[in-house]
Amino acid sequence: MSLNSAIASATKFSEEELAKYVIQATREVFSTMVMMDPKDEYPLQDPITRFKCSITGMVGFAGTYSGVISIHCPVNLAMKITSNMLGVECEEVGEDLNDAIGEISNMLGGSVKQVLSKGGLDVKLSIPTVISGEDYTVNSLSDNDCVVIPFLVEDSKFIVGLILKKED
Amino acid sequence: MPNILIVDDSSTMRKIISRSLRQAGLPVDEIYEAGDGIEGLAVIASGKTIALILSDINMPNMDGLEFVKAVRANGNTTPIVMITTEGGEEIIKDAMDSGASDSIKKPFTPDQLQEKLGGIL
Repeated sequence: MSLNSAIASATKFSEEELAKYVIQATREVFSTMVMMDPKDEYPLQDPITRFKCSITGMVGFAGTYSGVISIHCPVNLAMKITSNMLGVECEEVGEDLNDAIGEISNMLGGSVKQVLSKGGLDVKLSIPTVISGEDYTVNSLSDNDCVVIPFLVEDSKFIVGLILKKED
Repeated sequence: MPNILIVDDSSTMRKIISRSLRQAGLPVDEIYEAGDGIEGLAVIASGKTIALILSDINMPNMDGLEFVKAVRANGNTTPIVMITTEGGEEIIKDAMDSGASDSIKKPFTPDQLQEKLGGIL
């Protein structure tokens, strides 16, 4: 999975630059809000579309650029993330878990939007969407226009993906 | 000590802000919470004494910009600080033009809250 060269050219960012922004945003969000220090393992060796016992948080962009930024992580790690964010133990999939992962995707979206948008008004962010389940797949209709960054934290892996398109 | 109203659609973020205010050593008594601008207006209309309002921008039902305008339209001059992922200059200018007092970008640290809010509380 990589950023389509036409899109990279249109956005004036290389795939490596966008990967750098996503990595910086993810590390900042985790270090300040989750009290964790994830290490990136970019580039992703093999495409991942199928997730088991996982949770996915997504925020969409619309305007000058359209796309989606998403975070996918195993439920066990998501519970640790939620516990750290709330300061109390989270032991089940529910409202707290969904809200925490949704808010992480929201902050990641805000950080990436700052890179894409001149002043903030030409790109809109959606309200976060969260999906979880024992076995599900997430597919982009165009699978060449994204950067996907794997991360390792506390012996667990999660990934952050950015799908992007410059609108005419 | 002053009471604070936090308006954010994320219950996680409301809890983080509440905890961070206390970690920052800011003088805070009661913390009231609202999940969107409409709920925020209801808390204000209930007559509670509020010294500071912290509001997200990107929320369902009534977003932060509409909320600020509605508060000011009622003649309320309570300081409103936007705490938001929306860090773009134009959006922040919109918020300030609408009547917001300042803004804080998410993610934030307790030290950043202290720096921005210490002079208000």
